[in-house]
Amino acid sequence: MSEYFIEIVNGVKTFLTGMKMTLKHYNNKEDLVATLQYPHEKWPIPERNIGFENSEYNLIRSRLHVDIDDCIGCLQCEKVCPVDCITIDTIKPPKGTDVDFGITSLDTQKKMLVTRFSIDMSECMYCNLCAYPCPEECIYMVGGPNEHKHEIDYEFSQYKRDGLIYEFAEPTDAQFAEVGGEAYVESRQSQKQKLEDGANLEGVFEEEKKVLVTEESEKSAQEEEDSGLTLAVFNDVGDKPARGVAKKAFQAAKRGNMNYIAMADYVASAVDDAGKSSPEMTAAIGVIKNYKDEAVTEEPSAPIVADSVGDVIEVASSNVAEFDVKSLNAIEDKMSRGIAKKAFTAAKRENLDVNGKIDAIKLALNEAEKMTRDIDALLSSFFKSSEPTVEVNPVAPVSEASLFDIKLLNDIEDKMVRGSAKKVYMAGKRGNRSTLEVVADIRKELVGSGMMDDDIDNLLNELG
Amino acid sequence: MTSIVKSIIGSFQGFPIDPFLLAVLAILVPGIIIFLIMAVNALIAVYFERKVSAFMQDRLGPMEVGIFGFKGGKRFWGGIGQTFADAIKLLSKEDIIPNDADKFLMMMAPFIIFTGAFLTFIGLPISDSLVISNFNIGIFYIIAMSSVGVIGIILAGWSSNNKWSLYGAMRAAAQMISYEIPIALSLILVVLVSGHLDIHGIVQWQADNRWFILHSPFAALGFIIYFVSVVAETNRTPFDIPEAESELVAGWMTEYSGFRWALFFLSEYANMLIVAFVASIVFLGGWLSPFQLIDLPFIDILPESWLILDGTVFGIFWMFVKAIILIFCMMWFRWTFPRLRVDQLMYVCWKIFIPFALANVILISIWELIF
Repeated sequence: MSEYFIEIVNGVKTFLTGMKMTLKHYNNKEDLVATLQYPHEKWPIPERNIGFENSEYNLIRSRLHVDIDDCIGCLQCEKVCPVDCITIDTIKPPKGTDVDFGITSLDTQKKMLVTRFSIDMSECMYCNLCAYPCPEECIYMVGGPNEHKHEIDYEFSQYKRDGLIYEFAEPTDAQFAEVGGEAYVESRQSQKQKLEDGANLEGVFEEEKKVLVTEESEKSAQEEEDSGLTLAVFNDVGDKPARGVAKKAFQAAKRGNMNYIAMADYVASAVDDAGKSSPEMTAAIGVIKNYKDEAVTEEPSAPIVADSVGDVIEVASSNVAEFDVKSLNAIEDKMSRGIAKKAFTAAKRENLDVNGKIDAIKLALNEAEKMTRDIDALLSSFFKSSEPTVEVNPVAPVSEASLFDIKLLNDIEDKMVRGSAKKVYMAGKRGNRSTLEVVADIRKELVGSGMMDDDIDNLLNELG
Repeated sequence: MTSIVKSIIGSFQGFPIDPFLLAVLAILVPGIIIFLIMAVNALIAVYFERKVSAFMQDRLGPMEVGIFGFKGGKRFWGGIGQTFADAIKLLSKEDIIPNDADKFLMMMAPFIIFTGAFLTFIGLPISDSLVISNFNIGIFYIIAMSSVGVIGIILAGWSSNNKWSLYGAMRAAAQMISYEIPIALSLILVVLVSGHLDIHGIVQWQADNRWFILHSPFAALGFIIYFVSVVAETNRTPFDIPEAESELVAGWMTEYSGFRWALFFLSEYANMLIVAFVASIVFLGGWLSPFQLIDLPFIDILPESWLILDGTVFGIFWMFVKAIILIFCMMWFRWTFPRLRVDQLMYVCWKIFIPFALANVILISIWELIF
């Protein structure tokens, strides 16, 4: 019997001991917590000593880093690498030109442009051999004695294996132009284009492209709203329905690209029709009428076009509004930007239309020998957008010269058929053929391989 | 003493309303209230449990999920949205029923267990006069309803057609039926002393005299027996042999997934809340403020209720404070003690708790006769 009670007492005692223990841990958590909140916190790298002088050796071999500003392109590291994980491309300027590439931190004159310096860390074996021959001491393992140069990185975490190829040299197009590296740029761009074409053939990336387009259009829409007069003028009007009517009329007028006086009249008539006129409203309309900004004086031709032609031009003329001095800021080179802007303002003073302005800018740039591929592309993009029929309705006018869009082939459901159709399309595009010819080619190819059916036939009929 | 159902019916007395519609209303409104309490309780309690267990094991627990961009602090509120995310995941999971299972019974079982927990809430007041329906046999009703769940557990274990499930169900049935005896015997003490089966009467008696746990040493012993037995009744560690992870996978819940499993979870945490409520009502003065115990010298200066923080609204507060403390104790047990063996479990119940509880009943009667 006594054993029974002793057991109970012991049970209660141990019970309380255990409870005290866990409560202590519950309260005393600050210094006891064992969890490391990994992506937010990281363990420090332990110091290691392999038996040599600490300062002389890179003890921690974590990741290769290159201070590209110091690289002279001597290719020593590329040659010494036992696993060939370093790839370097350089361009020497043509003889006779006088290009200054600057000096390194060890006071060596750089003589060439390093166009590519990539290290594939998935191949690297961390032997550190590349660090020794470097005359400029610009390639090294990060961390350890180099901690002051570059922070340690021991995780290498990447979402794709490509991420482990680290590119260190990223020269700008201007730098290429300086050393006469257009051939290099061209070959690189053609490579890029090939990759893109391949992706197109496989039908991937379409969604991404669409997203890009919508983002751009949103941006331009925002810019349009930001510039000039906004709906905010009506916010003083107390009557809500009246405000709504006025805002609607204002938006319609803006879309029609009227000038401000016409806009004010239009809004006033709309308000009167709805019987909502009030002193505040008249004040707001007065604000519109007296509003002046550069946009109006810049394009006196725009409202006339809008009045004479219907809906199609409306969209186009709003695109015209996008071309102003600000859009020239995309030009990277300072000199050519200055020339372009000067030409633009001169053209504006002569009241030229957009195409005239672009022509003037091009002429000025050519005279100053500053015309590059980029600037030409930029200017022509504005040029194109001012031709309304091309912009608004890309499908309807099947002209002999222009080819239909490859996206139209995406309506083909079967993947195989789509692939071969696109292949024929690309071949036709390279051969500069017309829509009719390409459609005929596709039809021939599909019939030949027995993949033709009614849906595709209909689609092709629509195209050509 | 009013109740929610009575006030719903009473508020429509002057209106010409269809009696059938009124009945539907009187059923739906309390039902939704109870379900909300159970769901919110499960969401909070699971988070609480995970944090308490983490801290007791020197971990941090959930730390990454926030609500609407609010990520909480660095410690306790760090992963405040975790249980919401878990609940959404659970509800969107596939409902798997094994081929050889008894499909009808297997689908029924979670609802029976859920119904047991749900029905108990009907007689359970949250504060003074905040009760769905006020029975004059409240305690008896609660004891009866909380044992409905055993049928569901046996059904779940049997219909799953799985060894682990059946073992778990048998163990659960044995355990729950055994531990109902000490629970009932320790709840009888308060009925004996106060002379009420009605919950409002019991709390009223405590308001007139003192909290029942302070009534006599036997009442305090009764509280300890009740509280430990209740941990076993809700199948929580150290008495979790029915779903012992290391032995039986998940016991009677092994074959369940998705929403049905969520119902088990919901009723498990609802049961915790129920037993904590009952303990606080019977032994700890229910919705009474603890300040009533202290004889404050300046009590005459201010209106009494100001200092004591009493009344219906504060009653909710005190009920939940007491319940949360008790639930914390149950979690504390869970993360302190290792699981009991089956024979140890039965030993504790039949050889220790039942004799002591029986002796308690006799001794408290004598105490009442003497004092």
